[in-house]
Amino acid sequence: MLPIMMHLRVRQAGRRGFGFFFPIIIIWIILAALLLVLLPFMLLAAILTWRRGPGRFLVLLYPMLASILWNLSGLHVETKDAENEFLISF
Amino acid sequence: MNEEKRKVLEMLSQGKITVEEADKLLAAIAAPSAEPELDAAGKRVWKYLRVQVEPGPGSESSERVNVRVPRKLIRAGLKFAAFIPQHAQGQVNQAFKEKGFDVDLAKITPQDLEDIISNLDDMTVEVDGKEKVRVFCE
Repeated sequence: MLPIMMHLRVRQAGRRGFGFFFPIIIIWIILAALLLVLLPFMLLAAILTWRRGPGRFLVLLYPMLASILWNLSGLHVETKDAENEFLISF
Repeated sequence: MNEEKRKVLEMLSQGKITVEEADKLLAAIAAPSAEPELDAAGKRVWKYLRVQVEPGPGSESSERVNVRVPRKLIRAGLKFAAFIPQHAQGQVNQAFKEKGFDVDLAKITPQDLEDIISNLDDMTVEVDGKEKVRVFCE
């Protein structure tokens, strides 16, 4: 399932940190619109470069990108030491 | 969004709980269920690859790392390996060889990768030193 919330937390020594839950679905909507606009150009580039190789990659780029984004749910990366902290979780 | 997540976020927006408390509750909701999913052969299917690094006993370092990567994300990411250009594959093979691994990327099939992923549940790596490192699947 496409993640709809992202938790980001950053703390650095000597600086005021921040942490928030971000409705990342907004990013997906913007990204989807952008990809839709770029689609004709992408297909054209794929046709033009088909024989040289990159065309096949371009055709599969969208579904592969979608498979990555769709499976981001559950990804959790957290690092911290005495002074710094970074967390990103979907 | 499921009902439990919605309630936690509502409590957070109403100020009834702190961000840290909401984080713990959401993590508990997202935690794998007690009953593991089984494949056709009755073998437990792992959902997450975990990497944990904690300071070892007596270590002055306080660095901690906690990474959880979904199995499906690993599978999706591995599909990108098929798009490594031929000349780059040679460089990767050479780099592997220098590290003692005689691997030819061109000969690794999607089925090989699938076999590796499906058998990772038996893998647990634990390193005890200045830092305690655990790599396992759950």
